[in-house]
Amino acid sequence: MVCIPGKAKIKGIAERVSGMNKEKENIDLLLKRNVSEQLAGVNWDELNAAISKKLNQAGRSKTRTVKYRRVFKIAAGIAAAAAVVLIAVTVRTDTPTTVRFENGGKAVVKFVESKGSASVELKHTSTKAAVMVDVGASLRRVAKCDIEIIDASVDKEKNGRQAAWIIIRMPEPVLADNGVSRDETDFACLM
Amino acid sequence: MNDSLKDQTGNIERLVKASQAGDRGTFDELVRLYQMRAMKIAVRMLGNTNEAAEAVQSGFVKAYLNIDRLREPKRFEAWFFRIIANTAISQRRAAQCRAEKIKIAGGCGSKKVLSPVEGQIGEELKEAIRRAMLKLSKKEAKAIALFGMEDLSREKVAEIMGCSSETVRWYVFRARQKLKVLLKEYLE
Repeated sequence: MVCIPGKAKIKGIAERVSGMNKEKENIDLLLKRNVSEQLAGVNWDELNAAISKKLNQAGRSKTRTVKYRRVFKIAAGIAAAAAVVLIAVTVRTDTPTTVRFENGGKAVVKFVESKGSASVELKHTSTKAAVMVDVGASLRRVAKCDIEIIDASVDKEKNGRQAAWIIIRMPEPVLADNGVSRDETDFACLM
Repeated sequence: MNDSLKDQTGNIERLVKASQAGDRGTFDELVRLYQMRAMKIAVRMLGNTNEAAEAVQSGFVKAYLNIDRLREPKRFEAWFFRIIANTAISQRRAAQCRAEKIKIAGGCGSKKVLSPVEGQIGEELKEAIRRAMLKLSKKEAKAIALFGMEDLSREKVAEIMGCSSETVRWYVFRARQKLKVLLKEYLE
């Protein structure tokens, strides 16, 4: 069943809708007129100058911020590069290189900075000696470690230690085995 | 989109890109192009030219400092009007506090009925509109202020406000309902 409103009711609804629209229009008109009247008194050049002044002030602080940001970026870049170098060095030192000598001996060297050639001063008597290592082409470094060479001719029973062992005294001492029958020049050196 | 509108959009995009590259002169050009519309929005929201001018100045400074963060230069208008509306909202809080103080001090006297259609709007009615606008919620105030800009479509207002156009319509409806009650004496 469809309920059709009577003419009077339709008229009433139409009047109400019309009234609502009128109110809506009045509010919009009131706001619009308020804005246009208020803006009529605005000195646009003055406002423009005020904005310009504020932008100049902001621009100066922006330049300072950019400058500091740039310095900070450079510092951060340097720190990052240093960290990368450190990581690279750490990774490289994990890879030992075997170096052979003229007399047939060899040394296992872990390079701190870069791979290169290494030479070790050999002592045939039990003594302490510094290890000379050439790192790269031009750098010559003296290892900061003492090497105790055990004379191979000394009887094992006498000193209680086995020959052909090199003990390198480092913060973390490392023992390298070069085999029982080899002489003491076949040793391991850790940088 | 007609040719002149395309040209205008292209021109603004060019100015925005130059400003992003650090050209201060082109930003001044943007200021000249947008200061009037920015003032319209701020005045609608704050109901006072001095407060609106302050909000507009702060809005332009914020836009200038952050223009390099605007990823799509063609959306400058919506981005900039959002800054202006948000700055005006912040300004409103201070204005609301001042209005409260005046209210405590004894209000603003008797009301005089003035027709909005005929004659000039008096200072008293301006003050009444300002107070009424301050009583709207942030979103209602934003919606009715932006919706009243003839050159902004409902879709554009929705983009500025970050909501759907239906939601904008609802906020505008609510704002009108509230203003109808608050400005009843002046609308009769």
